[in-house]
Parts: sequence; C-alpha cells; structure tokens
Amino acid sequence: MSTAAEVSVELNGATVVARLTGEVDMANATYVHDELLRSVPNDAVALVIDLGPTRYLDSAAIALLFDIARRLGTRRQALRLVMPPDSPLERVLTLTEMGSVAPIHETLASALAG
Amino acid sequence: MAGGDGERLGRSARQQVAVAELGQQALGGSEVDELFAGVVEAAARELELEFAALLELTRDGRLLRRTVHGLPMETVGDVLPPGEDGLPGYALRVDSTVVVDDYASEDRFVKSAMQQQLGIASAVAAPIGARGRHFGVIVVSCREPRTYSPDDVSFLQSVANVAGAAVERARADDVVRDSERRFRELADTAPALMWMTDPDGHVIFVNEGWLRFTGRTLADELGDTFASSAHPQDREELVEAWDQAIKTRDEFRHEYRLHRRDGVYRWVLEVGVPRYVAGEFLGYVGTATDIDERKAMEESLRASEHAFRELADSAPVMIWTTDADGLVTFVNRGWLEFTGRTLQDELGDTWALGVHPDDVPEVDAKWTGTFAERDGWEHEYRLKHHDGEYRWIFERGAPRFEAGRFAGYAGSATDIHERKTMEERLRQIYEREHRIAETLQRSLLPERLPVIEGLTMSARYLPAGHGEAIGGDWYDAVELKDGRVAVVVGDVVGHGLRAAAAMGQLRNAFRAYALVGSSPSEVMGRMNRLTIGAGDDTIATALLLMLDRETGQLTYTSAGHPPALVVGRDGTRFLEDGRSMPVGAADAAVFREGTAVLEGGETLVLYTDGLVERRDIPLDRRLEELAEVAGSGALELEDLCDRLLRRLLGEGERADDVALIAVRAEPAALQRISLRLPAEPDALLGLRRRLARFLHSAGATEAESYEITLAISETCGNAIEHAYGPGDASFQVEVELDGDELVASVRDSGSWRKSRGASHRGRGLKIIDGIMDSSDVVRDERGTVVNMRRRLSAGVPA
Repeated sequence: MSTAAEVSVELNGATVVARLTGEVDMANATYVHDELLRSVPNDAVALVIDLGPTRYLDSAAIALLFDIARRLGTRRQALRLVMPPDSPLERVLTLTEMGSVAPIHETLASALAG
Repeated sequence: MAGGDGERLGRSARQQVAVAELGQQALGGSEVDELFAGVVEAAARELELEFAALLELTRDGRLLRRTVHGLPMETVGDVLPPGEDGLPGYALRVDSTVVVDDYASEDRFVKSAMQQQLGIASAVAAPIGARGRHFGVIVVSCREPRTYSPDDVSFLQSVANVAGAAVERARADDVVRDSERRFRELADTAPALMWMTDPDGHVIFVNEGWLRFTGRTLADELGDTFASSAHPQDREELVEAWDQAIKTRDEFRHEYRLHRRDGVYRWVLEVGVPRYVAGEFLGYVGTATDIDERKAMEESLRASEHAFRELADSAPVMIWTTDADGLVTFVNRGWLEFTGRTLQDELGDTWALGVHPDDVPEVDAKWTGTFAERDGWEHEYRLKHHDGEYRWIFERGAPRFEAGRFAGYAGSATDIHERKTMEERLRQIYEREHRIAETLQRSLLPERLPVIEGLTMSARYLPAGHGEAIGGDWYDAVELKDGRVAVVVGDVVGHGLRAAAAMGQLRNAFRAYALVGSSPSEVMGRMNRLTIGAGDDTIATALLLMLDRETGQLTYTSAGHPPALVVGRDGTRFLEDGRSMPVGAADAAVFREGTAVLEGGETLVLYTDGLVERRDIPLDRRLEELAEVAGSGALELEDLCDRLLRRLLGEGERADDVALIAVRAEPAALQRISLRLPAEPDALLGLRRRLARFLHSAGATEAESYEITLAISETCGNAIEHAYGPGDASFQVEVELDGDELVASVRDSGSWRKSRGASHRGRGLKIIDGIMDSSDVVRDERGTVVNMRRRLSAGVPA
C-alpha cells in the first residue's frame, strides 16, 4: 500500500473540504478515490477538493476525479476543485479537460463561495 | 597341571582380546551407553560370572545403577542410598579394586539389599575413573564363593579403564561443543578488553571492559603497568614478548593468565598492533580475549589423548607385515575388521588399497623412501573403513631382520579419527578467535571507512599538535538496513583519556543505534540518554545525518555542532537547520531535524571545530573561508580533504584535534537513466524520484520537470497494465539528453494499442501527446517501444 498521498477532511457548513496532500498515481488512486467518496455524507451540498498541496496527479488520478464528479452528479452534489495559479498540475488538468466536469477555482475561498 | 596352565593362559589371552576390542570400540567413538553395555557383558563373559553391573557416581555422591548383565532390567536406574552402598561404595572410598572371595567372611561392608535377595556369595568391584576423578564403579558377582586370580582382577581393572577413557572422551567432545557456543556468544556481544599504549609502551588507555574484568580503576592501569595483572609465572615471558614486539614494531600476540576481579586467573589471548597516524608511530592498540575455556579444553584433550595412547599401546589393534620386497604377507583380524576385506584381498602388492586418493602420493613417496633406507615408518593417513567412510589412522612400523638379513617390515595402525577431527575443530576455534580479536581491533581504529555503493567517501583525522595525542573527535559512516547511509561526526569536549574513552562509547553507540533507529533525532536521543546515564559529565557535539542514495534526500540533526557544508555545482550552502543541544547537556533534550536534498555530484563536508576555530578570527569569517576553499573548483575527494586541511590549518601547531569526512553522491547515475523495473504500480514512485533528480540537474524548470515526469510515468503505466503472460513482467526505461533535447524510451514485452474513448488510458495517451514534442510507438516481436522527445527551454548546462 502506497502512502504517498493523504486525504484530510473538514466540514465547512454543508460543504466538505478535502485537502489532497502528496502524490496520486495508479498505485494509490483506488485508496484516494475511496477516501474522498467516504468523506461526503448524503446531506452534503458539495465537495471541494483542494489540490494546493498536491504534488503529482497522473491519468489514473484524473480518472478518479472524473468518477467522483459523475457519482456526486447523480446525487445532486457539486464537485469543485482548488488549484493555485502557478500549480504544476495546470497542464494535466487542461489536457484532460477536467474543467468540463468540475469548475476549477484559484482559491479555497472562491471555491467555497461556489 | 600343564592342562590347567594352558586353560588359564587361554583365558588370559581371551581377556586381552576382549579388552583390545573394547578399546577399539572406545577409540572408534562409540556411544557411551553402547560401550557400557559391551563392558558389563565382556566382564561377565570373560570372568565366567553370572552378574555384572556398572554404577555411575552422581554429582551428589550417590551410586546409580546404569547398565546390568544378568540382573533384572528394572534394577537399572536404582540409586544405592548412602550408607547402604556396600561393596561398590567401599571400592570408591578406598580407590582401588576390591575382591570378596566369600561374603561369609566379609566384615568391611554389608551386602546390598539386592545382593542379599539374589544370594550373592562373592564379588569384585573396580572403580572407573581417570586422573583421580571417579565416574563410577563396575561390579561382577556370583552365587558361589570363588577365588579370583590376579589376571581376573587386572582384567576387570582394564575393562574399567576402557570405560573411564570413553567417558573422558565423551566429556571432551562436550567441552568442544560448549566452547564453540561460547565463542559464538562472544562474537555476538563482543565484550572486548581493549588497551592502548604510547610509543614507549606505557598504557594510556584501557576500556570499560578491561576495568570490569580486572576490577581495577583507570588510575591503577595507566602508565608503566604492562603485565602488572599477569600471573607471576607468566609475567617474565609476557614482558619479553612485549619488549621484542615494541622494539621491532611487529604485531604482538601472546597468551597468558590475567587476574580477574574475583581473584581467578583467566587465560587470555592478547593481540596488539602498532598504530600510526600520518606515518608517525604512536604506540600500540590491542585487545585481550578470554580463552580460558579453550585452554581447559586443550588440557582435557591432552589428558584423554594420553589415556588413549596407553590403551592403544597395550592393545595393538591392527597389525601387518611385509616381505623383503614390500609385499604384504600378513594382516591381523583387527585390520580385516577395519577394512571389511578378506585376508586374500590384502596380501601382496596392496599397500595403496583403501588409502584415500588424496593421500596416496604422499604415502607412496614416503613409504618408497623409508623402505629403501630401511628406516622406521611413521605416518598418518586416511584409510577406507568397511562402512565406506575414510578414517584417519596412525601407522607405525619397523624393519625386521632375520639372521642379519632384511626380511621386510612389521607394523601396526591405530584409528585416530576422533582425535584428528577434534584437532580440526580446535583449529577452527582458533581461527574464529583471531577473527574476533581483529574485528575488535578495527573498531577502534578510525582510518577505515566502509565501501558504499553510489557514494565516494574520504576522511581525515589529525591529532592535536602537542602532548595530547588522543582527542575526542571521531567520524563514522554506516549503511543502514533500509539502504540509507548514516554519517556522523562528533567531538567530545575535552582531551585525553576520558575524552577518548567517551568517544569510543559514543562511536559504538552510534553504530548500534543507527542500525535500529529510524531517524537522526531518534539515534541522537538514544546517544544522549546513554551519555547522561553514564553519569560522568561527558558533553559532546555531534552532527548526524541520514542520506537516501536513491533520492538524495537528507535528514539531519545537529547537537551543538558546526553546520555541514554542501558543495554543489552552483556554489556552496551550509545545512543550518536541526539545531539542538549538545549530547549529554540535558536529559530531556529534543533533537530537531532539518532536511535537504543532495544532488548527484554534490559533496557533503562534515568536520569538527578544530578545522574552523581560531581564537583570533570570528567563526563566521572562518566558515566563509571553509566554503570558499571547498567551493573553488571541482576536485577528487581525497584532494579536497587535503586542500581543506592545508589551507585552513596552515603549517602551525594545532591546538585541537580535527576530524573531517567528505561524502559525494556519485554523479554517474545522473548522466542518463537506464532502469529495468518490475511491472508493478509501486515501481512508479521510485522512478519519479530518479526523474526529478535527473531533470533538476538537467536544468529543467519545475513545470517542465513535472510534465516530463508525468508523460514518462504514463508510458510506464501502459507498460504495467499491458504486462501479461508468463515471461518477463518488467519494463525498461531509458532517459538521456541529446543536446537540449530530452530523449526517453520505454520498452515492454507486451503488445498494446491505443485505447479509444474516455478511459483513463486514453487520457494517458492524450497527456503524452500533449506534453512531448514527439512520440511514436514501435511494435515488434519482442514487444512494444515508445520513443519520446521534448526540448528543454533552459537548455543544458555545460
């Protein structure tokens, strides 16, 4: 079991904020996927995934984000991502058109405001 | 009467044969119980008596019936109560063979309960024991009064002697085994006795182990004390050997008896080697190893050998003769029983028959020479036993002359296999002992560093300039179980013996704790507690770091020590974090950690304050000088160390000792990456670390580094997901620079094609295409290769 990534969760009103720290790749994508889904109760309005402390995402990680967006969508819950302007992740999120399923905010405050 | 004499002679001869056979059995290493059974049976048979028993003397002085003949089996294991031990007990007390012709006229002791029950009328008892140590007693008896001849009595004594010799042999074997076990323990725990002298042979240091052993204080031991704790009888020889060694500066090696604190003299093996620093002879450093067990074993071996020699002399077991041409004309039954052949097989030109092939040339050469000169013959060689095993025998022979004419040789052979194999084991024990002594030696000499793959290291130690030849500075490096490398440099406050002794302890503590500890702060914490616990007010500064050779990741803590210097491509930097209190300063000290990354080709310099401290110049200024000297041009590590010492210390006298260690991560791995990795997701993290270092040293920006790493990892992800089938579940990654372009290839042994749609593999390919300037896929019968190129914006540093 890779422990290269950690998920820490806190509640902000009816919105769940999950900070994703470290590196996510095919070795730990399933773990991260399950941790994120588990963090969202049925009565939550939205999940905000903070990618500020994330150092690496590969296509398996992108796939898990797409899957979470789909699942939350069927539950009428929103997914929003936080990615600071100078993040090295920018290219991969752009190339995979991540923005098409989850809006990408530059700050946590803006993501919480929706 | 002639007939009576003949019968008596016949019985005497039979008895001798029986003793010889038992002796052979004992020499052949039979189990003790088996031999005892043979002993009681032969005693009853040859003396034509109904009953025989062998009783063992237990530790608490009682007699245990161990083996019987003619008596009910259930009496085996009975213990004769003291005071009711009758004839056997009496025989032991008077320490000689006791004869009872008729119990009716016996008043020295009473019959045992069993003798009364069986109606015993006469008996003989002979003590079993060698060298005054009784093992037990053998008793024969019958229901009629009887007169025993002197031959009968001496026969029973002989039989008892064989039994005694067998017991001795068995005990000697046990001692060998026990001693080996002890040596293993010794090697594991290394309770070393160590000492050091100055050039005049005066003792300037003994370690804790030595003081614990002798029970003396450091003050007692220092100075002109050599041999003062040796046994008076050994002293003269010891001093002579020591004087000789120190005169010639040879290695010193001597065995003598050393006075232990409990008043017992123990045999020790002392080994000393001359120590030199920068070519200057500084005296000796040595260790003493307790070899008392081995000595005792040698002694018992000698004694038991002696007993066997006597036995063998009185019972010539294997006999042969030759004619004047060297042809075998006779071998006795003992010989035939050993070889398992017939007399016909053995006669004639058969001297090489059954001789171990490896021993044939030597036997041949020696026998030819001996025979030609009509010399006496004496040789040890291996002869094939009828069970197929070669056994060592000792053979002895002499020329025979008949009417003044040479008639051939007559000789005998003895099975000495047990003794020979014991010698071999003894030799192994000696060797092990020497290895232990030498290992201990090395642990005290700081001039050696381990060879660690992926790193080059170089170190220097300079003692202080005057008088104080010993200081408390040290350095060390060890490879840890998880593949990281721990490096330490330290400085015990103060000089002289106490500082050196404390240094030795800290050095050992570092080695031990580094192997079990997971972080520098944990290891330093343990060293701190050990130092506080010793209660001798030792204070030391130390810098301890752990380096991951794969990633270059450094973790370190500094216990009041000057900062380590990193000499990199673009200049130098000090590792200033992880500042903590010195070791030994406070019980509850917390050791903070700093982290850094050592790039390929960069050099770490760790040193003690002797290198930088000068009364007339502020420390900051001196650290700047250090960085300047270290950073001015790339150098081999050895040259770097020399230059640092020369430029920073100059020619003058040193007031303080100096330790310096430089560690360089080998840059070779960064010129290109060529890796074969298992087709498992867990392999990707390590690969990304390697790529990050490579790309960093290639001058890639952070974004470029991330993207290229991602593209190559995606390609590898494909290889991992497509690895299948028997064959080889691995893939090969090659990365190198071609001018300002990065060229990468990933080869696997599977075949895969571009997926379509929105699966993450499809995304993976999209990522690769989007990031790399070009990528193409080549499939052949061996598998699939993906080739990629990407231009780097910053270009490549020269």
